[in-house]
Amino acid sequence: MDKKILEISDLKKKYNSKFCLDVNNLYAEKGKILTIIGPNGSGKSTLIRLINLLERPDEGKIYFNGHEITNGEVSQTEVRKKMAVVFQEPLLFNTSVYTNIIMGLTIRKIKLPRAKDRIDYFTDKLKITDLLNRSTKNLSGGEKQRVSLARALVLDPELLLLDEPLANIDQSSRESLRADLFGVLRGYGKSVVYITHDRNEAMVLADDIAVMDRGKILQFARKEEIFRKPVNEFIARFVGVETLVDGVILERKGNVCKIGLVVKKGNIEIYIVGQWEKGTRVTLAIRPEDVILYNTEISSEESSAMNLFKGKITEIRDIGIFKRVEIDCGFPLSSFVTQNSVNRLKLALGKEITAAVKASSIHMFKR
Amino acid sequence: MEIIWQGIKQAIILIFTGNREVYEILFLTLKVSGSAVFFSMLLGIPVGVLVGLNKFPLKKFIIAVINTGMGLPPVAAGLIVILFIWRSGMLGFLKLMYTPPAMVIAQVLIASPIIAGITLAAVQQIDPKLKQQVLSLGANRFQVYWILIREARLPALAAVMAGFGGIISEVGAVIMVGGNIKGETRVLTTAIVQMVRMGNFDMAIALVVILLAITFGVNFLLTLIQQKEGIGWIRRF
Repeated sequence: MDKKILEISDLKKKYNSKFCLDVNNLYAEKGKILTIIGPNGSGKSTLIRLINLLERPDEGKIYFNGHEITNGEVSQTEVRKKMAVVFQEPLLFNTSVYTNIIMGLTIRKIKLPRAKDRIDYFTDKLKITDLLNRSTKNLSGGEKQRVSLARALVLDPELLLLDEPLANIDQSSRESLRADLFGVLRGYGKSVVYITHDRNEAMVLADDIAVMDRGKILQFARKEEIFRKPVNEFIARFVGVETLVDGVILERKGNVCKIGLVVKKGNIEIYIVGQWEKGTRVTLAIRPEDVILYNTEISSEESSAMNLFKGKITEIRDIGIFKRVEIDCGFPLSSFVTQNSVNRLKLALGKEITAAVKASSIHMFKR
Repeated sequence: MEIIWQGIKQAIILIFTGNREVYEILFLTLKVSGSAVFFSMLLGIPVGVLVGLNKFPLKKFIIAVINTGMGLPPVAAGLIVILFIWRSGMLGFLKLMYTPPAMVIAQVLIASPIIAGITLAAVQQIDPKLKQQVLSLGANRFQVYWILIREARLPALAAVMAGFGGIISEVGAVIMVGGNIKGETRVLTTAIVQMVRMGNFDMAIALVVILLAITFGVNFLLTLIQQKEGIGWIRRF
C-alpha cells in the first residue's frame, strides 16, 4: 500500500504578475505530521485551498491516496469529505456550539451515535464541553477556534489540514490552546498537514517540514534535517540559526574541514564536519543553543569542542525562557543561556568570555 | 378628536361583538396577504440567495431589476396582472378576474421583489470565507445554499416583515384585480376606502385600527423572534 496520503507534483497557480505558486514535489505520509512553514504571503494558505479543491491549479497534479484528484473526473465534494480544514479564522455559524460541532457530520450524513465517542473525546480534550449549549456569538477568539478544531476533528478525516489555527488568537489564550491542540495531535496518529509561520510550533510538532517562500518550496525534509542542515541562508534564518558567517574552506582532513572566516580583521579558523573541497566558499550557520559559554580561558586539550572563541559580551537580551547573549569574537556570535547560567557565570556587558562550539553542530552551505 | 374616540370605541365593539362582515373582511385579508407572503417567500428567498451567492454575467443588471421591483407601485402590479387575467388576456380562460387568487397573484408581484432584494443584500453580507468553510465540510451546492440561508435567517425574517407590511396595507392592486366585491373580494384596505367614500367614518376608523393591530401583531411576533435568538426553534432551525 502507498505510504503517501497526499502527493503534489509540479503544481502551479498564478495570481498576478507578482505571485505564482510553484510546488515541484511535496508529499504527506500516512499517519505523519507534515508542517509547512514560511513567512506570511509565501503561499501556504493557497496551497491548502488547492489541496482541498477550493481552487483549481493552472498546472500540475495532486494525488490523494494514490489517485489524482485534480483531473476534474472525481467529485470535488467526495474528495473534500475525506479531508477536514481548519482555517486561520474560526468561521463559525451563528447557532449553538454543539450545532457547529456536528455541522460537518450532518453535512456528510454521518449518524450522530456513530460519532458520539469522538464528539465526547474532542470536546473534552479541547475543553469546550461546558460551552456546548452556548451561542457562538459570545465566545472569545480562543474558544471559537477550539470549536472550529472540534468541528474538524469529529469528522475523523483521512487528512486533516490546519491552516495557521493559532495565528489569529490573542497571546493570552494562544499558549493554552497550543498546549491542548498539540496534546490532541500527538496522540492523534492520523495524517496532518499543519501550516504555520512559527518555527517553534514546527519544531515541536512536525515529522516532516517543508519551508516555503514566495510560492516555492525551498526545502522539504525530515524535521531534524531542516533544523540541522538548512540548505540556504533564508531557511537557516527562518528556522532560528542566529549566527551566519561567510568563510572559505582552507583544507579538508577526512570528515573535517578547516574554514577561514571572512572577517574584518585577523584570522579566525573554524572546524566543521563536512566533506566539501578546498576553496569552496561557504556560509556557516551556528545555532545559539549549541554555543556553550565558559568563564575561564580553556584550551583545546580541556574541551571536546574543537572551536573555542574568546570575546566580549556586547548584549544580553531577554527572549522568554532564555537570555540571548551576543558575543563579539571577531564575528558576532549568539548564545542562548538560562537566567541561572547568567547568575552563576556572572555574565555582564563587556565581560571577557570563552565560547565553545562543536565541529559537528555547525552547519555549512555553499554560497 | 371626538370622531377618533368614537371610531376606536366602535372598533372594539365590532371586534368583540363578532360583527360578521368585519370578520369576513378580516379573514379574507389574512388569507390573501398570508398566502401572498408565503408564495413570495418561496419565490423571493431562493432568487435572492442564488443571485447573491453566485457570479454570472448580467448579475448587476438582474440586481437592478430586483431593486426596481422593490419599489414597484401597486397600481402597476395590478395593471400587469389584469393584462394577463382579463377575459381576452393570456390567462383569461382561468376566469381569475375579481377573485381572491387574482389578489394573491398581484400581491406576490409586489412582495417577492422586496423579499428577494433584502435576502440578496443579506447573503451578500455573509463572509465569503464562510462559503469556503461550508464547502470544505463537504457540502454539495444545495447544502451550501441551505446553510447560508440559515445563516442569513434574521435579515430574511426582516425581508418577510417588509413584504407582509407592503402588501397588507396596499390598496391599488387589490382594488383593481379584486374589485372590492362585498363578501367576496373585500379586504381591509378596500373596505376602508369604501367606508370613507360613504362618509362612514366610525367604521373606517374601526377597520384602520384593526389593520394597524394586525400589522403590529405580526411584526411584533417576528421582531421577538429576530431579537431574541434564544427562542428554541429558530436556533435549531
